[in-house]
Amino acid sequence: MENNIKLNFESYLNEKNFTSSQKEIKEINFDNFIKNGFPNRRIEDWKFSDLKKIITNNFENIDFSKKEAQLNIDENLIGDLEHNKITFINGAISNIDFSYENEDKIIVEQNLNLENELSKNTLLNLNTAFVSNYTKILVKKGYQFKKPLVLLNYLSRDLSNSGLNTRLDINLEDEASLNIINISNENLNNNFLNFRQKINIGKNSILKNYSLDINETSNIKYSFKDINLEKNSHLEYFILSKGSKFAKHDINCSLNDEYGSVVINGIIDLNDKKHHEIKTIINHNEENCKSYQLIKSVLNDGAKGVYQGKIYVNSKAQKTDGYQLSRALLLSNEVEFDAKPELEIYADDVKCSHGSTSGNIDENSIFYLMSRGLSYAQSKKLLTNGFLNEVIEKITNEDVKLLVKKLTGITE
Amino acid sequence: MLSIESLKAKIEEKEILKGLNLNINPGEVHAIMGPNGSGKSTLSNILSGKKGYEVNGKVTFEGENLLELETEERAHKGIFLAFQYPLEIPGVNTNTFLKTSINAIKKARGEKELDAIEFLKLIKQKSAELKFDEKILSRQLNVGFSGGEKKKNEILQMSILNPKLSILDETDSGLDIDALRIVSEGVNSLRNKENSFLIITHYQRLLDYIKPDFVHVLKNGQIIKSGDYELAKELEKVGYEDFN
Repeated sequence: MENNIKLNFESYLNEKNFTSSQKEIKEINFDNFIKNGFPNRRIEDWKFSDLKKIITNNFENIDFSKKEAQLNIDENLIGDLEHNKITFINGAISNIDFSYENEDKIIVEQNLNLENELSKNTLLNLNTAFVSNYTKILVKKGYQFKKPLVLLNYLSRDLSNSGLNTRLDINLEDEASLNIINISNENLNNNFLNFRQKINIGKNSILKNYSLDINETSNIKYSFKDINLEKNSHLEYFILSKGSKFAKHDINCSLNDEYGSVVINGIIDLNDKKHHEIKTIINHNEENCKSYQLIKSVLNDGAKGVYQGKIYVNSKAQKTDGYQLSRALLLSNEVEFDAKPELEIYADDVKCSHGSTSGNIDENSIFYLMSRGLSYAQSKKLLTNGFLNEVIEKITNEDVKLLVKKLTGITE
Repeated sequence: MLSIESLKAKIEEKEILKGLNLNINPGEVHAIMGPNGSGKSTLSNILSGKKGYEVNGKVTFEGENLLELETEERAHKGIFLAFQYPLEIPGVNTNTFLKTSINAIKKARGEKELDAIEFLKLIKQKSAELKFDEKILSRQLNVGFSGGEKKKNEILQMSILNPKLSILDETDSGLDIDALRIVSEGVNSLRNKENSFLIITHYQRLLDYIKPDFVHVLKNGQIIKSGDYELAKELEKVGYEDFN
């Protein structure tokens, strides 16, 4: 596989006319990736999800050469919810639609130069080596989006055994607000997807990010988000992790000034042999910031769920309020759930707590529902839906809440 | 309607029911009184099909072998258990649950399921009868309900599902006088020539409101005496300890 990736990389560099400095950045990152390879379980962050093994088990070869897609996409994945949209086809931007907004207040830049950096995360090295169409969205000071922005990742149906790397930066200037819905279409073929986003939320700004992984696919997906919050800004982050064969959501979030707040709510809802992980690091770097995390998992068949959540509190970050809770329902003897909650606290006046529970469905509750005429399957569904609904109810955008209920079939 | 012959039940090798006999005809109200640990709740659990018991004996409901039926099939046939401790079901709206329940039963009986409007009409009428605040029904099932609200919710479910045999497992426990009266009125309004009741209680108090046709004393897993309402009064006077 390694030789093929090297060949892909050589032809990719030759095809494109990169400046010598850009070429160098890509080469350094690529070399580092080749040297270290896909992360395996000996790396602490990948302890419960051995990506190297997952890649070896699922791919003979991954083709990173660029896929041009001539398709004209008009697929409605989100029903009648009014929205703006950026469509990516096979990783490249094909369409930008801000029809509900004042376009003077939004800047979209494409094909930007990459900064010179060398992360220890080899998947980011890989991303830097292969990414084209590095895109930035900037929301100008004081502008509040009227409708959500849908980031639609469309994979053409002929795409298989391919590797895609995308990079998108989102920058909200001060007093701005934006709601984002991340969603992908159905694609049953094996692909390796490596999404990277860097997000900056300016003073008094609000970002709501809803990541919906719902369609059944055999794709292997890694999503890395690096999020920085300035003074008195707010992030609401919702993950529905369900469709992909493997998915890891790697979220790094830094509260860099006072009165920032972060809410992360996640659902891992898996069947078959799917394996999903949510990993978060919340860095409380300044005083008076809050973070709240609720992750609920429902595991069926032979599925595996992982939640690794770390709250870091800097010695300056007094009056920090940090909370995380993970609850998992294990619905078969073959499932596995791993939780690793971590608190790393260097300040003395803080309130931090974490909790993690996992267990079977409550048979007394099942008996109660069955005694009212519901079948075992109906009772189990009602209980698991109720369990997950508590997370969906935390979505503050009512339109998105309805969308999620419709997409999941989970209602009260 | 219900016939129980030498019913024995064990849980984890401990024998709880030791040969119980009971006959309930249509339209009759039977009360079972007994001390803690006499097997009252075990009896109601077994009649509703709770798993985990080793059961021997014969129980028929309208001529059919009840012990072979699944819990939900018993509900479809018209058996209802009002729980002593109704369970809290987080994330499930009470109205949604009630609608799922009534339609599951209607479907199993080959009747037409209720649409949203018919359901709301029924709910409105029944909750008014039981002086039950409808707002509670938009909350999560039993979550944060007071003891009285939980019990009233059981009776509301009973009155919506209109069962042939209602088993009330210590429905009076934890109720104040007002709630007790409302709950009793709810039960009494369902009394007719066809519907039967099995009321399980510690105290005579509930029986002052719901007059039973028969009273049975359950002790050590057996019915040791049967009689009419006067038996309940006698029990209250003598106590279970000295009653033989």
